[in-house]
Amino acid sequence: MSGFDWSVGLAALVLAPFVGGLLRGIDRKLTARMQGRIGPPIWQQFYDFFKLIGKARAATTKGSLVWIWGYLLLTMLTVFMLFAQQDLLIIFFILAFAGACLAFGAFSVRSPYSQIGAHREIMQMLSYEPILLLAVVAIFLQTGTFKVSGIFEYGQPLLFTLPLAFVAVLIALTIKLRKSPFDISASEHAHQELVRGVYTEYSGRFLALIELTHWYELVLILAFVALFWAQPLWVGVLLALAVYFLELIVDNVEARLQWNWMLSISWAAGVGLILLNIIMIEMFFGNVLRL
Amino acid sequence: MAGDTLIAILILLPMATAAAGLAVKDQLRRPLIIIPSAVLIAASLMLLFQVLEHGPLTFTPAPAWGSVILVLELALLAYFVYLGVVRRHVLVLGLGGLQFALFCLFKFAWLPSGFKAQPALHVDLLAVVLGLVISVVGALIVIYGLNYMDNHERHLKLSATRQHIFFFFLVGFLGAMNGVVFANSLLWLFFFWEITTLCCYHLIRHDLTAEAEQSALRALWMNLFGGVALLTGMTLTYQVSGTLSLLDLTGFGPVGPVLLLPLALFCVAGFTKAAQVPFQSWLLGAMVAPTPVSALLHSATMVKAGVYLVLRLAPAYEGTYLSALLAVFGAFVFMVASLLAISQRISKRVLAYSTIASLGLVVCLAGINTGLAIAAAVALIIFHAVTKGLLFLVVGIMEQGIHSRDIEDMEGLITRLPVISGLAILGMIVMLFVPFGVLFTKWASIQAAATPFSDLYPLAVVFLALGSAAGMVFWVRWIGRLISNVSAADAPPAEPRPEPWRSVSYLVVFSLLAGAVALSALAAPLVSSLINPTVAAMGYSPALDTAGWHLATPYGFFSPWVLFIIIALALLLPVLLVRIRPEEVQPVYLCGENQPATGPTFRSIADQATPAQTGGIYWTRTFGEQSLNTWVNGAGIVLLAALIVGVIV
Repeated sequence: MSGFDWSVGLAALVLAPFVGGLLRGIDRKLTARMQGRIGPPIWQQFYDFFKLIGKARAATTKGSLVWIWGYLLLTMLTVFMLFAQQDLLIIFFILAFAGACLAFGAFSVRSPYSQIGAHREIMQMLSYEPILLLAVVAIFLQTGTFKVSGIFEYGQPLLFTLPLAFVAVLIALTIKLRKSPFDISASEHAHQELVRGVYTEYSGRFLALIELTHWYELVLILAFVALFWAQPLWVGVLLALAVYFLELIVDNVEARLQWNWMLSISWAAGVGLILLNIIMIEMFFGNVLRL
Repeated sequence: MAGDTLIAILILLPMATAAAGLAVKDQLRRPLIIIPSAVLIAASLMLLFQVLEHGPLTFTPAPAWGSVILVLELALLAYFVYLGVVRRHVLVLGLGGLQFALFCLFKFAWLPSGFKAQPALHVDLLAVVLGLVISVVGALIVIYGLNYMDNHERHLKLSATRQHIFFFFLVGFLGAMNGVVFANSLLWLFFFWEITTLCCYHLIRHDLTAEAEQSALRALWMNLFGGVALLTGMTLTYQVSGTLSLLDLTGFGPVGPVLLLPLALFCVAGFTKAAQVPFQSWLLGAMVAPTPVSALLHSATMVKAGVYLVLRLAPAYEGTYLSALLAVFGAFVFMVASLLAISQRISKRVLAYSTIASLGLVVCLAGINTGLAIAAAVALIIFHAVTKGLLFLVVGIMEQGIHSRDIEDMEGLITRLPVISGLAILGMIVMLFVPFGVLFTKWASIQAAATPFSDLYPLAVVFLALGSAAGMVFWVRWIGRLISNVSAADAPPAEPRPEPWRSVSYLVVFSLLAGAVALSALAAPLVSSLINPTVAAMGYSPALDTAGWHLATPYGFFSPWVLFIIIALALLLPVLLVRIRPEEVQPVYLCGENQPATGPTFRSIADQATPAQTGGIYWTRTFGEQSLNTWVNGAGIVLLAALIVGVIV
């Protein structure tokens, strides 16, 4: 790892919350407009964040608080590693650990709502994990390496040869961001059957930590999307923003699905698309590893 | 000490100890078992250094041993037939009889008299690694068994102890396993192979309940089926190539590669031992046995013999149709076993399915058959043995604590039995997450599967991705049930006595966990000093670079110790630093209808206080055995048929 990688990774750690928070603010603004409301200011997420930090502490168990720290720190580790151009497989393995920490946090409280949320959270992991791993494999077949650095050394945008894998990643992304129709482990608003699912038992500064983690998660996922058009990178950034906008629309027009729908869609459509894409690579585009 | 002596110690000492155990008094059992166990561990380590330093050892015992083995072998095969008769079990009788007849024909009619496969024993690095796993993990499990069986018999209120029989087979098993991995002559291998079948049968039926008898007979007939496959493979091998030496088969001897059919039959024999689909039911049934048996079968012995044989033969079928199909078959087993585990709420069944999945992964890696894949397979055998042994022993202690194997009864066990629950959670994290050893092998497996080793690779890699996600579900949920915070008021009454965490059983669990963590953090030196040389000795080019104690493949990079430090800090610092004051503790949210005075209860119908209950979700309708088994077994049989038919055509 060069000094450059270190500095990019550390810079990402510092900047990601601002970008993530801002994007979430834009999300809320646009969502409000789509629903015919004025909506909060774009900086509202940051106001919320600092308000939550200042609140009196309340908790149900220590365990849930400890795990939520793990969720934040491990997600930060994945952001650092992605921007420092490390191994994508390891990044997603650590992301899985981080996601499991969120589930553990909810599992540690004997609350019906957070327990159901935790079970659904692991169903979400079952749905998106294979897509992410297989997308990484599909990228590998084009670049010959699992490292992010290899994508930048690869001549052309990955999107040209991995269009179907890209679509599959969009499915995984909606699940990972817990957006409708896949917001099954935690609803955005607390007055539904789930209450707030995995987040039900968090308040104050610990809810702020979760919010912060979501900003990091958002940046990580959009950065992964941008990798599909890494040269030149500004196109990738635009691509990621376009994808985020698409997610907003889908989020607003869809209702929540049941878990078994989610699983069939992600396994049949998501995994199926990537498999098809791999076959396309073998038949038309050429697998670099066979050269 | 000479290598020959060490080999003799590793095979004969457990058998002699087992025999002596039948004779001595119960009070002498502890020293009788603990001292040879220590010797066994020391001998396996010395053998390792010897082989690392001087290369593989070959050894042919005096001819008299050949006759001893022949007599014992005939007695053993006749005993299986006898079991079929007295237990009135058609399959055991049929397969046992077939095996007996085939062996007699082969040995006395087809083989020229005085035929010897030279050398009888050949100990290379792969054999030593397996020997190390068998001796170290196996001996620890046997030591754990001492306390466990005392508690077990106290709980069953037996009038006369049956421990001498139990330890006879348990300790003898280790010798037989060492024999399997050290054998070079297929005749010797077959002999030890059959002894493991015998030990397995008697250990499963140890408690003599109807269920135990039934499970033991199922294990017996399935393994006899494997024995028949092995014997048929041997016969064919001899007819085709005139040799019965593994060295010759794997390309290190004078005879070149043989026909694929016998190799496919050897793999089928391996699948029966390793409980691969459709033979998985015997391993699931084996959980009726006392826990040390499960631990031994799953980690150090029995199932490892199966994957050992498949892995040992890998160089012989490199680049063939058989190899490509093994990769798909193994990946398929990995996936379906992980999916089936999601629906299981009996802890030992979850562990059993996870074992089957891991063994499927080893088979898959043997089929991928590249330097990277073989390295991952060897690493997985080591890490799986330590971690799975640990988890079974933990479950055994829990079971004796709460008298249940049901994960639902383990809700909030962390508050009732904190030490053992903590060990269980750590063990599962070691099994599941980066940066630990099992995940390192998964990382290497996906890389190996993604390289186009055959045209079927996309299938293998998809199965691996799906299976690995399914693995997350059942482990995370299990940990979740353990950490669910049950207040003392509404927990089921626990054992009044405190956890005996200074006892030998706990000590064994502690040491296995320490071993798993240390091996994981030091994965790079382990690879450079042991796994890379093993892979090289099998004729592959090592694919893992370990400069700076990082692990690098041609395609990826992973630094176990750096990640270990970071992740340990990320999880441990909050444990130490997060504090909540008693006045900050709030009741859980129950839609605003809490009745805080009486614990987690809420006002329900007619303002009555109703306790809030939580439970695990097992998604039985989707992932249950009832809905999946037909498909799983059907697909398994089709794949096996494709394996056999494909190599004939």
